[in-house]
Amino acid sequence: MSAVILRRDHIAGGAFVAGSMLVYAASGDLPFGSLASPGAGMLPTLVLTLTTLLGFALLAGAGGSPPLTSIDWSDAPHALRVVVACALATALYVTLGFLATMSLLLFGLIYLVERRAIVRAAMVSLGVALVAYAVFGSLLKSPLPRGLIWF
Amino acid sequence: MDRRQFVAGSAAAATLVAAGPSRAQDAYPSRPITLINPFPPGGAADVVGRPFAALLEPLVKQPVVIETKAGAAGAVGAQFAASANPDGYTLLIHIVSISGFAEVDKLFGRAAKFTRADFIPIARFIADPMVLLVNDKQPYTSLKELVDDLKKNPEKLIFSSSGLYGALHLPTALFMQAAGIKMKHLPTNGGGPALTALIGNNSNVLVSSIAAASGQMKAGKARALACFGDKRAPVLPNVPTLKELGYNIEFYLWVGLFAPKGTPDPIVSRLREESRKVAISDRFKQAMNNIGQDVAYLDQPEFRAFWDADAKRVEDAVRQIGKV
Amino acid sequence: MESTIDSLLLGFSVAFRPDVLLYAFLGCLVGTLVGMLPGIGPLAGISILLPVTFGLDATKAIVMLAGIYYGSQYGGSTTSILMRIPGEASSVMTCIDGYAMAQRGRAGAALCIAAVGSFIAGTFGVLALTVIAPPLGAFALRFGPPEYTALLILGLVFLAYMSSTSLARTLLMAGLGLMLGCIGIDVMTGHFRYAFDIPALGDGIGVVPVAVGLFGLGEILSTPSKSVTAQVVTPRLAELLPSRQEWRQSAMPIARGTLLGFVVGVIPGSAHIISSFLSYALEKRISKHPEEFGKGAVAGVAGPESANNAASTGAFVPMLALGLPTGPVTAVLMAALLIHGVPPGPMLVNDHPEVFWGFIASMYVGNLMLLALNLPLVGMFVTVLRIPYSYLYPLIVMFCIIGVYEVNHSVVDVWIMLIMGVVGYLLRKFDFDPAPLVLGLVIAPTFELSLRQSLVMSSGNWTIFFERPIAGTLLAVSIGLLAYSGIAALFRRGDWRASLAKAEIGDKN
Repeated sequence: MSAVILRRDHIAGGAFVAGSMLVYAASGDLPFGSLASPGAGMLPTLVLTLTTLLGFALLAGAGGSPPLTSIDWSDAPHALRVVVACALATALYVTLGFLATMSLLLFGLIYLVERRAIVRAAMVSLGVALVAYAVFGSLLKSPLPRGLIWF
Repeated sequence: MDRRQFVAGSAAAATLVAAGPSRAQDAYPSRPITLINPFPPGGAADVVGRPFAALLEPLVKQPVVIETKAGAAGAVGAQFAASANPDGYTLLIHIVSISGFAEVDKLFGRAAKFTRADFIPIARFIADPMVLLVNDKQPYTSLKELVDDLKKNPEKLIFSSSGLYGALHLPTALFMQAAGIKMKHLPTNGGGPALTALIGNNSNVLVSSIAAASGQMKAGKARALACFGDKRAPVLPNVPTLKELGYNIEFYLWVGLFAPKGTPDPIVSRLREESRKVAISDRFKQAMNNIGQDVAYLDQPEFRAFWDADAKRVEDAVRQIGKV
Repeated sequence: MESTIDSLLLGFSVAFRPDVLLYAFLGCLVGTLVGMLPGIGPLAGISILLPVTFGLDATKAIVMLAGIYYGSQYGGSTTSILMRIPGEASSVMTCIDGYAMAQRGRAGAALCIAAVGSFIAGTFGVLALTVIAPPLGAFALRFGPPEYTALLILGLVFLAYMSSTSLARTLLMAGLGLMLGCIGIDVMTGHFRYAFDIPALGDGIGVVPVAVGLFGLGEILSTPSKSVTAQVVTPRLAELLPSRQEWRQSAMPIARGTLLGFVVGVIPGSAHIISSFLSYALEKRISKHPEEFGKGAVAGVAGPESANNAASTGAFVPMLALGLPTGPVTAVLMAALLIHGVPPGPMLVNDHPEVFWGFIASMYVGNLMLLALNLPLVGMFVTVLRIPYSYLYPLIVMFCIIGVYEVNHSVVDVWIMLIMGVVGYLLRKFDFDPAPLVLGLVIAPTFELSLRQSLVMSSGNWTIFFERPIAGTLLAVSIGLLAYSGIAALFRRGDWRASLAKAEIGDKN
């Protein structure tokens, strides 16, 4: 009966087996070389063989792992929001510059994601970004990116 | 850390430059100039670039910032500079190996990411002839002994280099071809590790710049057998040149300043003029002497002619090595 | 010996000159700052301040620049302990138990132990540097590619002790790390591997983006703010200092970490990065309570932190004794010496004794300064944890992005960090431990290069690894460890690993 239930290690092991084979297929033109002059494909081939075998080992023992449904995904919406915020910030980072992007990121996370008071969120965001900008720019002489809006 | 620390984002960072407000009507330069150093700090481009930047600042009355964009043996920084806005605010300090990348790409059937035509040469600052070294565990006292022994016992010796198709590998390959000998190649990931391998006798032969090896030569840990210059180096008066020994090879570790293709002429001539002032100044001479170099300044026309000739040597060497 | 003492006295007479003291202090101060802020590592710190030293003489310049280097090793633990952001590869292990200690309200203790451990390790390192640098330098030179390969194999064997998950899971993570390490241009043949013609990937994936993503961002993704209850850890002053028991628990790990770190640090190349991994694995292996590791074991902070500090001092041995730049940081320091007209090399001690000994002596002084700088800061840092989590984690996210960007000024690195954050989140769901992945990534380039270099040297003859004494010894130790664990697992069923396995089997049924 337990064979029907999809378990944690079925997914994990399967992912590793499939991933390894995929990468192996993608590295077809890398020469393995010989012992006297090992090629660029030697280590990848060895490692991929290892991960494929271990992936199968996980699959083999998967019957004993907890069922997939037991994994708690309640933190996923929060994680997704943070990832989206970060992705936006990263995409805009060099265009908008440090000050604009980071105060927006902080504001977005504190106000939009965490639902804190808007005024306080705005003040904290701008203040922190300004301090960080000053520390890196003047103290460490390693300026953060400047964008279109500020400087 | 190792070379992998120095990943740099060319494409995305290019937007950074493009995003800067362009105020072409202002007198150049009206904002800080960025000098791209495509090698890890401490390398030849860095030790020349830093004094240069420090002396250029008062002349152009703007900060001159060195930005390290190291990676892929200098290709990442060069590509970044090649794709930068040609407004004179992004310049490149590069060494002899800049000529080889396009040829290597051709070898692997890849589209070249940049070629020599993407850069305008501005000035050459130093040109250090390479020397062929053996460590103190080797019996050879002349190049002839080394060549004769290797002809009898091919692949008996190992040479180290800073990496495949790098500035230390190319002259070695040219020499091996001219002398008709073969050695095993031990590539490492930098000039320092290559020298370490020689001194630790994990490799037996190394072609290096004089400055990098002078400490070890003085201490007797490494012995120079031949010099790659067109005449003997003043610091090594007893070391014959390859030309004297009958091999028609020259190879220098030179450092030059480049601007991206399309940089307006007035800006280029301004940069030429200021570079000349820096290069002939006593303080620059002093700084170069400190790192064991003589200033070998060439202005744009001479540098261009030198670069064209030098690039032929480098491309020959790359083709000679071929795909490993 | 007497001459050493005389020379050292000369060195102290230089190091105690007020101007030299000032520059040593400046170096230590900047180093602490640089170490604390993620991203700007010692390398960037030194290169940024290199031009500032142009007006100084060689002694002051090198004293200040070296201060940045070893000072940064002190500060490196701060963000690891407080925010689980590893500022550099060597702080990864501190993240695990240091952060766990902070969550139990022992952040102050963890920071104190890290500072004191760093001080002991740093001072011991300088002492060893003073007395036995030249013979050690000669030893270091015997580390060629085969020795390197053997050392890293030993590191991989230690891996089995590093993680609390099963061996298959640990090895899978290490394999994933090794594969990530394969990305980029192959040094030996020039092939572009798995880089899809993106030039920024040409040099491979950096350790910092991966580590910060897996640990720093990954932690935030799996900790939604509502699960952090309003009770904020507010330590009182008395709780800032380690308890007597914590001191006792950290004494031996500090001693072992110091010795191990120094020896590993002396080896030319990037071996010093693995010193903290090795120390962590060693402590876990010999601990009577290995199950505490990962949940805030004091030894898991004390050992690795001491090891990475001792290693950073050990890295000066090849530079000072042989004049060989063995890593990026020592290469910049040597360039700094060159620029100031002091050619580094085997003759440095004879030609410029005041530079050499002044530098050594200033490191004794500098370590004291750093302890005095860092201990009072502990109280200040811990207050960071009083910030409510819904305000704190956006700050941590910002620091992750700045830190990763600043390493190379590369947005591609930030994307890698972000992807690794998601990967870290998923790995956690499927019960994988990311630490072996980072170790795999760290050693992949060196391991592959030295393995292939060895084979080139011997024309494909595997016996090269056993013919050379150091390599042979290291491999013998690895094999011995493997055999010992195998036998122990077979016969001593009471072994914790076996009982864990039993417990797992129990779960299954």
